[in-house]
Amino acid sequence: MDLSRHRAALVAALAAAAILIVLPATSIPPYYIAFLYLIFFWIAMATSWTILSGFAGYWSFGHAAFFGTGVYTSATLATKFGWPFLATLPAAAALAATLGTGIGWIVFRLQRLRGELFALMTISVTFVVAAIISNTPIDGGSGVYLISVAMPEFFGSQDGTIYTLGLAFAAFSLGVAWWVYRSRMGLGLFAIHDDEDVAEVKGVPTFRYKLGAIALSSGIAGAVGGVYSIYVSYVTVGETFEITVIMYPVVMSIFGGSRHWLGPALGATIVTIALYGFPSGPEAALARGGIALGLILVVLLLPEGVMPSLMRWWRALAPRRLVPMPVLPQPLVPEPRKAETGAALAGQSVPVLECREVWKTFGGVQALKGVSLDVRQGEILGLVGPNGSGKSTLINVITGHFKLDRGSIVFDGAPIGDLPAHRVARLGIARSYQIPRPFNRLTVLDNVALAASFGDGRTEGEARRMAAHWLGYTGLARKAFEYPPKLNLHERKFLELARGLAARPRVLMLDEVLSGLNNTEIDEALTLIRDIRTRGTTIIFVEHLMRAVVALSDRVAVLNGGALIALGTPAETMRDSEVISVYLGKAHAS
Amino acid sequence: MITKTPSVSRRQVVAGIGGLALYAAARPAAAQAPSGTPIKIGQALALTGPFAQTGLVHKIVSEYYVDHLNKNGGLLGRQVQYILYDDQSKPDVSRTLYEKLLTADKVDLILAPYGTASILAAMGVAARYNKLFIQNTMGVPALAPYKMHFSALVSGPEPSVSLPNKILDCYATTGNPPKTIATVTSKFPSAEDMAKGMRTIAAKRGLKEVAFLEYQTGTLDYGPLAARIKEADPDYMFVGCLGVEGNQLLEALSKIGHAPKRHFYLYPSPLLASYGPANGATSLTNFEDVAPFTSSPEGAAFAKAFDAKAVEAKLPYPHVDSQAGNEYCGWQILVAAIDATKSFDDAKLADWLDKNSVDTLAGKRDFKGLNHTSSTDNQEIRQVQNARWVSVYPKETATPGVKLLAP
Amino acid sequence: MPSFQLLDQSLVTGLLTGGLYGLLALGLSLSWGLLRLVNIGHFAIALLGAYLTWWMGTALGIAPWWAGIVIVAAFFLYGVGLHWVFMRFAVTEMASMLITFALAVIIESILQFIWTADFRRYETAWGSQSWIVGSLYVPKLSLIAFLVAAALATGTWAWLRYTYVGRALRACAEDAPIAAAFGINHRGLSFLLSGLCAAYAGVAGVFIALIATLAPSQIWTWVGVVFAVVIIGRLGNPLGALMGGILIGVCEAVTMAVVDPSWAPLVSFSVLIALLLFKPRWI
Repeated sequence: MDLSRHRAALVAALAAAAILIVLPATSIPPYYIAFLYLIFFWIAMATSWTILSGFAGYWSFGHAAFFGTGVYTSATLATKFGWPFLATLPAAAALAATLGTGIGWIVFRLQRLRGELFALMTISVTFVVAAIISNTPIDGGSGVYLISVAMPEFFGSQDGTIYTLGLAFAAFSLGVAWWVYRSRMGLGLFAIHDDEDVAEVKGVPTFRYKLGAIALSSGIAGAVGGVYSIYVSYVTVGETFEITVIMYPVVMSIFGGSRHWLGPALGATIVTIALYGFPSGPEAALARGGIALGLILVVLLLPEGVMPSLMRWWRALAPRRLVPMPVLPQPLVPEPRKAETGAALAGQSVPVLECREVWKTFGGVQALKGVSLDVRQGEILGLVGPNGSGKSTLINVITGHFKLDRGSIVFDGAPIGDLPAHRVARLGIARSYQIPRPFNRLTVLDNVALAASFGDGRTEGEARRMAAHWLGYTGLARKAFEYPPKLNLHERKFLELARGLAARPRVLMLDEVLSGLNNTEIDEALTLIRDIRTRGTTIIFVEHLMRAVVALSDRVAVLNGGALIALGTPAETMRDSEVISVYLGKAHAS
Repeated sequence: MITKTPSVSRRQVVAGIGGLALYAAARPAAAQAPSGTPIKIGQALALTGPFAQTGLVHKIVSEYYVDHLNKNGGLLGRQVQYILYDDQSKPDVSRTLYEKLLTADKVDLILAPYGTASILAAMGVAARYNKLFIQNTMGVPALAPYKMHFSALVSGPEPSVSLPNKILDCYATTGNPPKTIATVTSKFPSAEDMAKGMRTIAAKRGLKEVAFLEYQTGTLDYGPLAARIKEADPDYMFVGCLGVEGNQLLEALSKIGHAPKRHFYLYPSPLLASYGPANGATSLTNFEDVAPFTSSPEGAAFAKAFDAKAVEAKLPYPHVDSQAGNEYCGWQILVAAIDATKSFDDAKLADWLDKNSVDTLAGKRDFKGLNHTSSTDNQEIRQVQNARWVSVYPKETATPGVKLLAP
Repeated sequence: MPSFQLLDQSLVTGLLTGGLYGLLALGLSLSWGLLRLVNIGHFAIALLGAYLTWWMGTALGIAPWWAGIVIVAAFFLYGVGLHWVFMRFAVTEMASMLITFALAVIIESILQFIWTADFRRYETAWGSQSWIVGSLYVPKLSLIAFLVAAALATGTWAWLRYTYVGRALRACAEDAPIAAAFGINHRGLSFLLSGLCAAYAGVAGVFIALIATLAPSQIWTWVGVVFAVVIIGRLGNPLGALMGGILIGVCEAVTMAVVDPSWAPLVSFSVLIALLLFKPRWI
């Protein structure tokens, strides 16, 4: 039944597309063709904006820069170099994408780039690009005239051509948005939006994805700009880089809903009709004010945009018995990773992860002072130490989240100290967070599927089936379609665990999974952790709770002040005088 | 109220020949009440956005003109229905709106919007439907190669040559022509075009260029520009300004104690006149709220009506000026062609205009120049004197009793 | 090479224009830095203040300083009301940008509806006067605006730094829950701050009315440069806003005097881009 509804929607969409394609050939008044072009124009602008800014959460105010680059590329090539107009469009897209990628290449490398910073960077670039075009022979201040540029005629007129190009780019942008939305890349971008650091550590190649998103986003804006140049037939800097070109894609996307591939198109259609569909005479100023008031109401009352509300309404519209209940996919029971099969059985003396003389400094503080530590295949290594002793830093260095200053880290015989976090994750090192950091706007299932997909290289379907398995394993199956903020602390801790497991790591680092749990929950967790080890996963277990450390660990490593002060069986280390002094104070040691 | 007498030129009117008789010789249809289906005339103007202050002037004139047409028998006995849209100062919107006017509203005739970019965007639409396209605000006539384009301006085919010469000729009448020039211009297309023309002509006529400065639209601080001009201390300053930019530059100059000797402003806000240090500033014009423009009954009636409407619309400079006059002339040209051909057919109207000239409120308009611009540059030089714009050059059309203020 | 007099004169006007930038940046910087609300409507409010000053002056004959008092009081209430809406709907940083953008459009529409799109100029006898120091001209009004900006920036800085209320505000910006745990009434304080930011826009508006020529669309001409000033001066730092304004004002003026006026808009954004690239932790 759900299927037939989907099929109906698909048929309707195809029919609409077919009608739109042949529309210029009909006797419809050309005004509607021209108006539809404006809608297509804004759909492509808003949708392309969303691919980066809506999905990944990096708000760009540089869309006018990319658009303007396209406008002037097409205008310049068509007028000064005599290129056939259609041939200028790929160039417009390519140049705009190059600009976008260049900006991304520079700014996305900055650690912890804040959203506003990116927004400011892009708006600054817009003004700079405008000033350069205005002050160089590209425009020089006189504008560029395209009146005598020859255009091929589709459906017997230039209008038909412009319409068709507009439709093509709108459809293309929607197609790209849909594809990204449904793909691993989309999942990765959404994760970046929620928590970029965690996304990287879970295996999402954040830099590459952001770069890909900005390239697509700016490239489409450039191509759209190329078509726009012939539409207005005279381009000036003032009008190309106008504030509305900067703001409208943002407004339309937010209005429609910027986390859905179709949201911006919906927003663009509504806003374009509201702005241009009822051209007003005398009361023009008030009409504009009214539209702005509408925008405020939507942002206040529907913070997620119109699209999500519409989807809810659409589902509610279906008869109750037909409401499609999400069904958890058939669990896929994972086999062990190939590399570990032999080693797992070979005993506990094979080192899988070695830290050699690892140093890390923050500002003036030495967080790690030459820590050397080997982790053996299949063991549970307890990592303890007082607050500030360097446990978290060590984990962050191993996962690649922090670059180490000196020393090396070797995993399975290969150095990983210089790898970005997502590569380390792919090699088979996973972690959980002491304070759970789930992706709040992804479902519990998708949270886990993301880890399976990026940590373990699974395809979409496999990843979800794997996720179903691990949710069952950690007892969260009933919560699969909830969003993390609805879970209690215990469930969130187990979600962390499930995410760690879904990557099928060789080494799993558990950062204080027990803190905040009650005794029954702790026992449950301990059983689970032992079970994980018996399946062949090596575990580094960071914990304050000594009872658990002693009960669980094969060996215990003690950090203090950034240095390793003891390493051995729990019994040995607990007798070590230095450890006792660290934990209980000097008096007890003597 | 509408004069359509090809045999009598405004100059004669100015000379006082048969002024009242002309007024009485109303358009032929005036006696009958309009009947039949109304004739639809469409236009889009910048009513919001950065050009809205000028758009408003055009709106007042168009509405006034249509009102009077209808009170005086309409067009060929038919009532005129005027459809006005707001193009938000954006060329893409302008293009779409003309498409709407022509194919959805199915108007019979169109008039061009305000502003070069919007005009060019709309002209493409007019060309596709073979519509007569009369515009009155485009500074660069070479840009309008459409065969049914007609310019209501009398700027001649190449204003960037004729206007600079005219300004210098004007200043030469005192017997003490300027020897150095500073050109300051906004990087706005038509202003830039004119400023470059000024630069070339000045060089040809042996003026020494002491400064050539371009600034971006939206410049907030004119202080440094003013300081550079003060230092260059030119005999003559050409300001390629739009709207209020000229006022701001002049104000910055006066704040650092510099009073320009001779200064010309290209497209200033009429408000400039009310600013004290602007006394002596020149600009170009086709129509002002003073004699000789208001010497004809029609001119006087229009000026009076416009001023009243401008007060009602709360305009800060509630006087008719060139901007309003040119829109009025655009309407006059359209109506003259309709009356002469007894037709609303665009091709016939264009054909008639191609061969004839029209006597408008602001002088004779022919269309023999490039792209149907006027064959000669008949613009006049106006000057701020005692907080009002008056015409000072050429002598024959100067406001009676007024002399050019210049060293 | 430009003469020293040209350079000095440009430095003076750049410095004074920078003061006005700083005055506009002050309220924006405080609300962004301390309330995490990006108020694009700040410029619209300032221009509304300018229109009100002009209107009271020309239509009602009220002197600008009296008008200023009325406007500042009224805008304070507006700021409080706006913040109430933001709190009531738990508006996020990015959403605040959209809402205030829409507010700016509404204010632009209202200005145009009441006073048309045409230019308005507040003519005063003393508006264009200057003090002459040696060979330099110092425009009186701009200097007063500069001094007021400096006084407000310094006063606000001292208030934030040395008073309990000010420190509490900064604590809230750092970590609201912790501050709340120490018994700081975050809500009350944020209303006060929001009101203050709007009031500062009112002060800026009075000076804009006296110094500039008004048109509704001018709301947008300030946005770019003042945002650059806010960032360069560091979010939530009143003295920084002033310093950033001066830096940009002087850089622009020198570019206009020495290089080419048409490259001036590039300056502020080049400074900003360089700052963001080389000091990304600045804001």
